[in-house]
Amino acid sequence: MLTVQILIDGFAISALYGLGAVGFTLMFGVSGVLNLAHGATMVVAAVTAWVVAGQYAANPWVAAVAGTVAGVLTAFATYLLVVRPIQRSSSVPAAEREIFVLTGTLLWGIMIQEAVAYFYTDNPKTVRPLIAGIMQIGGVRTPINELLIAVICWAVIGSLWLLVNRSKAGKVLLAASINPRALSILGFELSRVYLLVWTIYGVLAGIAGVLLATFLGASSAQASQLTASAFSIVVLGGLGSVYGSLLAAYVVGYLETLTAYLISPTYRTVPALVLLVLVVYVRPHGLLGRR
Amino acid sequence: MTDTIRALLTSRSVWIALVVLVVLSTLPWVVSAYILGVLTIAYYFGVFAMSWDLLFGFANEVNFGPTFLIGTGAYAAGLLNAHGVPMWVCLIAGGAAALLGGVALAVPALRLTGPYFGLTTLVAVLLLQQFIVIFASSTGGEIGLTMNDILSTEAITNYWYALAFMTVCGAILFTLSRSPVGLILQASGQDRIGASALGFNVVKHKLAAFCISAVFSGLAGAMMVFYLGTASVGTVVDVSVGVQVIIAAVLGGRRTIVGAAIGSIFLILAGEALRPLGQLSTFVVSGIALLVILFFVDGLMGLLLRRREEP
Amino acid sequence: MPDPRAPAPAAEASVPLLDVQGLTKRFGGLVAAKDITFQIRSGEILGLIGPNGSGKSTVMQLIMGLHRPNAGEVRIAGVNVAGWPPHRIARQGVGIVFQHSRPLHRQTVLENIMLGLLPDKLLKLVASRHVHEQARQIAERVGLGGVLDRKPNTLAFADLRRMELAKAIARDPQVVLVDEPFAGLTSGEVHAFAQLIADFRTDGRAVLLVDHNVKSIASLADRVFAMYLGERIAEGTAEEVTRDPTVRRVYLGGGIEIASRPTRPARSAPLLQVEDVSVLYGKAQALERVSIHVDQGECVAVVGLNGAGKTTLFNAISGLVTYSGRISWDNRDLRGRSPAAIARGGVVQCPETRELFGEMSVRENLDLAGQHLTEAQAAEQLEWLYDLFPRLRDRERQAARTMSGGEQQMLAIARSLMMRPKLLILDEPTLGLAPVILEQISNALEQLRNTTSITVLLGEQNVTFALPHADRIYVMEHARIVWEGEPSAFAAEVAATYL
Repeated sequence: MLTVQILIDGFAISALYGLGAVGFTLMFGVSGVLNLAHGATMVVAAVTAWVVAGQYAANPWVAAVAGTVAGVLTAFATYLLVVRPIQRSSSVPAAEREIFVLTGTLLWGIMIQEAVAYFYTDNPKTVRPLIAGIMQIGGVRTPINELLIAVICWAVIGSLWLLVNRSKAGKVLLAASINPRALSILGFELSRVYLLVWTIYGVLAGIAGVLLATFLGASSAQASQLTASAFSIVVLGGLGSVYGSLLAAYVVGYLETLTAYLISPTYRTVPALVLLVLVVYVRPHGLLGRR
Repeated sequence: MTDTIRALLTSRSVWIALVVLVVLSTLPWVVSAYILGVLTIAYYFGVFAMSWDLLFGFANEVNFGPTFLIGTGAYAAGLLNAHGVPMWVCLIAGGAAALLGGVALAVPALRLTGPYFGLTTLVAVLLLQQFIVIFASSTGGEIGLTMNDILSTEAITNYWYALAFMTVCGAILFTLSRSPVGLILQASGQDRIGASALGFNVVKHKLAAFCISAVFSGLAGAMMVFYLGTASVGTVVDVSVGVQVIIAAVLGGRRTIVGAAIGSIFLILAGEALRPLGQLSTFVVSGIALLVILFFVDGLMGLLLRRREEP
Repeated sequence: MPDPRAPAPAAEASVPLLDVQGLTKRFGGLVAAKDITFQIRSGEILGLIGPNGSGKSTVMQLIMGLHRPNAGEVRIAGVNVAGWPPHRIARQGVGIVFQHSRPLHRQTVLENIMLGLLPDKLLKLVASRHVHEQARQIAERVGLGGVLDRKPNTLAFADLRRMELAKAIARDPQVVLVDEPFAGLTSGEVHAFAQLIADFRTDGRAVLLVDHNVKSIASLADRVFAMYLGERIAEGTAEEVTRDPTVRRVYLGGGIEIASRPTRPARSAPLLQVEDVSVLYGKAQALERVSIHVDQGECVAVVGLNGAGKTTLFNAISGLVTYSGRISWDNRDLRGRSPAAIARGGVVQCPETRELFGEMSVRENLDLAGQHLTEAQAAEQLEWLYDLFPRLRDRERQAARTMSGGEQQMLAIARSLMMRPKLLILDEPTLGLAPVILEQISNALEQLRNTTSITVLLGEQNVTFALPHADRIYVMEHARIVWEGEPSAFAAEVAATYL
């Protein structure tokens, strides 16, 4: 019984982690940016969904779409107001550009977090499940919503896979992660490529945020923890490797669930952290990373 | 010897620092005890930021988790004191514990490049935080650890302690930065291969930079908890504290040492000044810091020194 | 410091200052240096020459300890330093002047030089008086006496190079390694630098000059050691090496032959016009007031050795570097247009580095390039390219980086052609390729010109490859065009002095 419970809960939470991590790693792989406003972006999506569902009494699906759109807008704002100006700035020496972008997104994330807390307080916001009801699986009562989350996450990840591997735009993204200069001389405007990747990122982070709100609730205070989780997973899996992020998400998701159920919820995050330390010392490129 | 002294005397940074110090020394007669308290914290922060600047500005290593070193020093001192060890011994132990932490951090640093090192430093902080929370029975967990001793109960005395501490640390760090050691460190940081080709063991020097940064951070952390009377995760370990340290150093002006201290004072005073805004104060401060990163890359010292050379 | 005007001390007959024996280095499957052996005695200057990829830079880096050799010994005055870390080798008596200046930007000239005089100690809080004075003297010696307190970003390019020289000799090394000593310098500056390097000889040091151009170091070097693809191909005096048939073949690609060519129509309108274009990389003059034009249907070759400026010229045309001057295509100014827009406008470059998407397959690389065409056009173009380069059809699904050098070059050219360019810029297509592949590419180029109205701008070091295809030739040297004319005139006027 407990085993089945752990299997199911672990699967759902890992799927959610995976969605967030995939967006994060895609952003790094294609444009080289580690977006430390990631958690804040998810929170904006979650809170928007809550506002739309609550204040406008819309049905959960409409709220979900609104939340996702908010995620995309936040991603654009991050790119156009923070990341691009720093990347194009001539007063930042080239060698320090990465660090400035990192610090810039960090500050921006804090600003978003505080703004959300100011307008909506930092109480956790939940959104009614997209599909209400309980199901019996292997003798365990599971909310249908939880299964739906896993399904949606995998559907989105699957669509992303199709996009990257089977569509023209996807091939361009893949090429950008390998050699942006070559793309340029083949007639592709890099600025458009970057806008595309930020859009995709916004959708992924937005959906992840909305789903989080329906599952566990999201509060602005969690923003940094969400970012920390995402990049721990991404480092574990290997920066830039989408498959690695998925694998690592499941490793971390199950480690957390096992710890929460078998030891105590307070120590949930410990095994994953220890694993992360080991990886960083022994194999810094992560499980599936190449660089 | 005279060359070094001449260099120090003609340095504009030194004069700016002296002017600021003179002003700060007059404050006990001018401002309230409350403000003195705020500034006391700012001075300890100044040492945090100056240590960070030494590592970043010179050895070129970005430490995203300075609170790992600060927290290690603070908690080592706190835990010993909670078991009755005298304050001075605790302070030294705090510095020593942070030194060990610095070495532990340096080991992966010297093998990793790019974003990986930064991530390692952040992970170290998260680990420390978890460690403290898990062993809450000894460490006081999220609530904090109460110290047995305290530096002083008088606001003015505490103020002088903090100002003196910051001045001494600042003087040492600044002199180091302008000395041959500082030159070698800068070379090791800016151009590893070039420095090796000139006969310098880059690994040795970077390790030294980590150790120096660690000792000062840890010592300052220990001093601060003896001032506050408690050691808690929220004041010396949390990632947000680390972020403030970095912002202070960047705001003040990277690679100047003096700038880091000035940036800290500015940041903490600004936070206080904006307190009436309530929740929005963090928002505004972060916003200012972001604007600095976007438009005033060389920070306050950059504005004050107004580099006249072309880029 | 030894008096530069004193006669050179008698060369020690017994122990050479630099003794390299059987030095070998492999990077994965690539043998960068194979069994390299030479000695340099006190007061001698050895020139190490070779084209790109010859391994000469690797040898220099091995001596300095920047890479660990797989085999062989490096003896500095008898002491074997192979496998030592660079800082120990430096202290053993080796100074290096890197190809690209690497000053500390936030320190003054004096401080930069002082760095070379400091001991490797952790606790040096105060520099001894002695060090300042010494640094001053070294600066005077190389001609930097007047700029001691300036920061590197205010210095002229030649002064930055002087500072590199100063840093290298600060600790009075027995062996000095200099990489591309005269790159980027004007002829007046070259003379001054040559004198400084000659002074090293007078000091009794052993000097290794690394360059790709024999001509530039011919007057300085006592002996020359030529390398190609990691191996020694010739050794002797500068004159002997220049006349060596293997060396000539490697640099020129073989004998100069002019094949008969179908007559092209009389001068049509210029399609590409480059007027008075100059490019600065930091302080170095990479291109100096270059003017060329390419007419519709022509194949124009720009020949010159590495570093002459061919790639910079092409990058300026493709919008990849900032330049002063005017570049117009089809009567429209290209300035301000993004590289992608220029490529879409019909000017497609196949760069020297090929820039393939290594992890993607041949087909994927080609498909990407064809995304701007309609499905039908792309399919048609693909078929045509597979006919031109049958090998690519066979390897359609293979990952680009697993192919041989020749196949990668074919893919790179095919990919550029996929865009149906009006002007194809080919930068060094034959670099590092075996003669058999060269012929295939040459044939493909011929077929291309015979069946389409494409215009080609070809940059090559290998003159033998370029001549049969070229309608006109420009010769570049040290960032300038030094000759322009028809292939027949080239053989008569330039070929002899080219190397």
